[in-house]
Amino acid sequence: MGKAGREKSVRERIKEQQQAARAAEKRRRMLTYAAVGVVALAAIGGGWFYTYSQSRSEQPAAGPLAPITVQPDGSVAMAKQGVAKPVIDVYEDFQCPGCQQFEELSGPTLKNLAFEGKAKVVYHPITIFGQEPLKSNSVRAAAALRCVPGGEPWMRLHDKLFQEQPREGDVGFQMADLVAWGKEAGVTAPGFEQCVTSQQHAQAHLAYSGKTMKEAAIEGTPTVKLDGQALEGEQLSPVGLRQAVEDAAK
Amino acid sequence: MEWSRNVAGAIPWVTTAARLVLGIVLIVAGVPKFRDQIQSVTAVKAYQLLPDSAATMVGHALPVVEIVVGVLLVLGLLTRVAGVIGGLLMAAFVFGIAWAWANGLRIDCGCFGGGGQLAAGQEPTYLVDILRDFGLALCAAWTVRFAPGRLALDGALGLTGGSGGSEGEG
Repeated sequence: MGKAGREKSVRERIKEQQQAARAAEKRRRMLTYAAVGVVALAAIGGGWFYTYSQSRSEQPAAGPLAPITVQPDGSVAMAKQGVAKPVIDVYEDFQCPGCQQFEELSGPTLKNLAFEGKAKVVYHPITIFGQEPLKSNSVRAAAALRCVPGGEPWMRLHDKLFQEQPREGDVGFQMADLVAWGKEAGVTAPGFEQCVTSQQHAQAHLAYSGKTMKEAAIEGTPTVKLDGQALEGEQLSPVGLRQAVEDAAK
Repeated sequence: MEWSRNVAGAIPWVTTAARLVLGIVLIVAGVPKFRDQIQSVTAVKAYQLLPDSAATMVGHALPVVEIVVGVLLVLGLLTRVAGVIGGLLMAAFVFGIAWAWANGLRIDCGCFGGGGQLAAGQEPTYLVDILRDFGLALCAAWTVRFAPGRLALDGALGLTGGSGGSEGEG
């Protein structure tokens, strides 16, 4: 091999080494990139799973609901006999989407806590909206529910009202629907239809609503209080709510 | 010459500012939504843009995505990808708010938590919300174009081709 040939091969070898180094560097960069990407995706997946598991609704307990009684002031209590605390006060408006969401997610938890004798749940249906048609929708629904004397039909109609919540801006909760849903819910009181269509309790509801909002200092719905303390954020999720109640019992 | 070199030298710092603004806003917006899933889902539903099941999924996923993308932008990690996602989010928000406005919905944008509901006597602030999100979209566009800027982990890890974004990257 001549001198020129040797030099060439040295040059080639250097070139090859440089190429190999570049390839290794590129591989390292890609691996780092992929690793960071995987961690980021895992963080998103993990966070999503966490929120999903926190806000998964409980299965309804196998058994009848705790007794549901209309109280003299117009609120409605659900509690096993002898269970007086902790008290969960639920302030909600049938037209309020946040209340619908809360009921959908954590409604079963409220019922289960009452069923297990771990809490007394007090429902305060109020009308928080001032503008139409939101206000009239809300009043019609709440007044109709007042025609139910308590018991499981009350809860079934209560749940149905949230399920059938009119879209924002639509007129809903028509009289005929309210009557039909009540009968579906098992209301047998003879004056029920007349009570709903004449909106017999609309004034009483509005008076109760105004008084309650003032006394309990309600700024928005849903407001949920545990022994008088408003629950916030994650405490309204099924897992958070149960946790808060069990902590309060300690 | 001197002047243009100064400008060129400033670009990576502008990128840093742009991704910090976008990233911090995303984190600040994501955390309260993450903590209050009920409000987050309700706010998405209030736009009436998605069917309920999809709105629920978005309501759960959105805060997590916002927080993770925000953290990536602040750290300057995967800057370009994070910038693209951040920009798409802002574009979606601008679209959503414009949609609510055009359809005469009276809602709170739910941007920083809140259930998408206006308290009594409150007026919607669509224009302000849209201008803010449009500005953030511009931050995202700049970040993508001139990624990753100074003080970025991408640079430190050599993920950008150029070293630390200083070698005429972009």
